[in-house]
Amino acid sequence: MILPRERLLELFQAYPRDRRYALPLLQDIQKQCGYLPKEHIIEAAGYLGVPLSRIYAMATYYRSFSLEPRGKYVIKVCDGTACHIKDSKNVLETLKGLLCVGVGGMDKDGLFSVETVNCLGACALAPVMMIGEEYFGKLTEESITEILEGFRKREAVVAGI
Amino acid sequence: MNIQIDGKTCIAEPGESILETARRNNIDIPSLCHHEALPGLACCRLCVVEIEDATGNRLVVASCVYPVAESVTVYTNTEKIKKHRRTNLTLLAGHVPEVKGVLLAYCREYGVIRDDSHMKAVVKEKCILCGLCVTACEALGNSAIQMAMRGIDRVVAPPFNEPSLNCIGCASCARVCPTDAIDCESVSGNRKIWGKTFSLVKCAACGEPYATVDELDWLKGKLLDTELNLAYCPNCRRRVSVNTGK
Repeated sequence: MILPRERLLELFQAYPRDRRYALPLLQDIQKQCGYLPKEHIIEAAGYLGVPLSRIYAMATYYRSFSLEPRGKYVIKVCDGTACHIKDSKNVLETLKGLLCVGVGGMDKDGLFSVETVNCLGACALAPVMMIGEEYFGKLTEESITEILEGFRKREAVVAGI
Repeated sequence: MNIQIDGKTCIAEPGESILETARRNNIDIPSLCHHEALPGLACCRLCVVEIEDATGNRLVVASCVYPVAESVTVYTNTEKIKKHRRTNLTLLAGHVPEVKGVLLAYCREYGVIRDDSHMKAVVKEKCILCGLCVTACEALGNSAIQMAMRGIDRVVAPPFNEPSLNCIGCASCARVCPTDAIDCESVSGNRKIWGKTFSLVKCAACGEPYATVDELDWLKGKLLDTELNLAYCPNCRRRVSVNTGK
């Protein structure tokens, strides 16, 4: 989602024009849009008076930033040591079967996108994944299907269907 | 101030790095990521030396960023240092298996045999990611390229991997690159670099192409009230200004 210009300028106004505010500014954009649209990165560099190459470097360095559009719900599948041993690969396979997307991809409804992370810090629940801010542990093929169904139902309620 | 390097008394300027002092005094310290016009980057780690302080403590430091001090004695070629350099060369050579030039010469000098059987090397890779090109571009004030991505994906690239608006085609990045990793072609009056094509300007005296149109435009903006004659290449300009007394 690309923000209208006025809304973007509003975001910028929260910070002085200085390179040290580049990170919080990018975080704000990411929060509003779900990703960092190219146009916004260029505008941000211009506003802060920082070379575009630096902002681009920063945006590609941090894993929490994405230059590609992401789904409404970002599924973070843990691939840390414990989850890896507990077959996190199978979690990814199951998600791939259900959503038809691999790691880094977004499903065709724009509802879910799938990422891997190195550790979610909940190894006792391995294999574990996060959807948005919610944790889901001890995953099985059945539970993953249920969880995704739950989110779909929630969306349907929101949409008033 | 005076500083002892390999038993030789060298005159050092305050604030200078050990590497700069050593090189000025004809003591060779190998390095890839250092350029005399730019600050030290301490990236290639080939310039490591051992220093000994007044109490006899020894320490291995990167000489390109270690400032000279009167109290330290420097050893540039001990067995320990050679071992460190061999290790670093092995890693660098493993990263860029087909690279030639200075790195290959250092590998031969230190007897490093390239063995990349245990690592998956990208055969065509030439860049050692030292960042010298990025520093040079920044120092010139354009910042057209930066290190993008992270980890094994790290690359030097213009924003969004597209031709940069800031690039003036000066090719300083390609010139400082220790491994010739930056593609820069000059054919039939054009220079191609970072996916952008620039028209080259020929010197009014010798006829050799010496700069791009964008580079000269950028220079004109910088040198508002100097009478530098930009129609000539640096060599001819010197000759012309001597002859005309300007």
